[in-house]
Amino acid sequence: MAPPVGARPGWSRRAQYGLFFSFLATIAGVLIGLFLLGLSIVAPHAYAGVRGATLDVTSPVTGALREATTTVTGLVSGAGNYWDAARQNAALKKEQAALRQQVIQARAILNENAQLKAALQLREKALQAVATGRIVGSSFESQRRFAVISVGRGDGVLIGMPVRAPAGLVGRVVEAGATASRVLLISDRANIVPTRLLRGGQAVISTGRGDGTVDLRPLEVGRNPFRRGDIVVTSGTGGLYPPGVPVARVVRLDDDGAIALPMADPADVSFAVVEQPYEEAALRAADEPTPEAR
Amino acid sequence: MVRSALGNNATIGRGPRRLARYWPAGSVAIASTLSVLPIVTEVGWGPDFGFLMLIAWRLLRGDAIPAWWAAPLGLFNDLITGSPVGQSIFVWTASMLMLDLADRRTMWRDYWIEWLLAAILLFISQVVRWDVDALMGASYAFRLIWSPWIIAVLAFPLAAFTASAVDRWRLGR
Repeated sequence: MAPPVGARPGWSRRAQYGLFFSFLATIAGVLIGLFLLGLSIVAPHAYAGVRGATLDVTSPVTGALREATTTVTGLVSGAGNYWDAARQNAALKKEQAALRQQVIQARAILNENAQLKAALQLREKALQAVATGRIVGSSFESQRRFAVISVGRGDGVLIGMPVRAPAGLVGRVVEAGATASRVLLISDRANIVPTRLLRGGQAVISTGRGDGTVDLRPLEVGRNPFRRGDIVVTSGTGGLYPPGVPVARVVRLDDDGAIALPMADPADVSFAVVEQPYEEAALRAADEPTPEAR
Repeated sequence: MVRSALGNNATIGRGPRRLARYWPAGSVAIASTLSVLPIVTEVGWGPDFGFLMLIAWRLLRGDAIPAWWAAPLGLFNDLITGSPVGQSIFVWTASMLMLDLADRRTMWRDYWIEWLLAAILLFISQVVRWDVDALMGASYAFRLIWSPWIIAVLAFPLAAFTASAVDRWRLGR
């Protein structure tokens, strides 16, 4: 059976015109959508104002709900901790003894380092934190990896600033509202972090894979330098991220690189610290589309 | 008729709710708002709740949401989920048009065909999103879209159930 020529609402002229104009409006909607989408792709900062404002409206809700879920999960995991307290206690005691030894060693190294730096007359760059906020939400319905933190322009946060947690690097700010901002996580495909191998210091490029892991490639072609359990830290190249921040831990090797897990899991991180870019020029460069984002 | 008059008369005198015409669109907007839930994950797995709700309504009733309303609803969804502005506007209005075409082509409708149509539309929306993300510098592997797609397809019956429940409620049945 051939399909009918068109949807006819009957003989009413008014209903027919209504249907026709709503059809035209829908086509216009498609075209407007395409136009706006093209604008988002070509000029991502075009909507910064309205998107920042939406972030300000939604993030208090997310933050409040986050508080509640943290409390509940805290109760559950707290109960779990009591469950095998004796075994945990023994393990922790052992760990503490081992750590104490390491602390003494580290202190000695620190002293030596300070002496050597004084001898070389190196000036240490003091990095001050811009703001400290909680990670309240994430883009869980998208393959892009973003997180929302509870600090914004009102706290001095600007687009392009690096974000870190005590455990390691989290990412960098890509949208800033007045009271909340969106962070591009290091596991996002568009986030490329210049790093180096902690063991050996070889330069490594770290790219997100979009599935919660990070892809590591050595800058120099040659033998695969990675081993399971290796840690990469930021190298400070490019001037955005301060050097020496832990980024990821290698979990699997492949042909010429490795797959690694970020050290700071946004789901576990309670506080995120927004810092000044290591070099001020990096902040200005962040406003322009970087070649790495192409 | 006679039977309903003889039965319990709880339904007598009950009409549509106030603003019954706007509840379908409202429920789509509420579904979009689900993305502010404080779920922090390293992997994106969640469905596009607003889109699920929109196609559930469209498949339940052709006239519940006028096709062009998909554009403002899509803009709202883009802003609240943080996806590139225009992506949902385009995908949602285009899906309304595609379902209009599908309505003319399908000889009969049952639940399986609706589920199949929803699965196809969800897949197209995932592919469009993958393309847009690649254009914006995040060209992740194509295989990453399978698991969110399967989750979304499995979540469609829930959306369809919600839509029909809201429909009964708004019409006072």
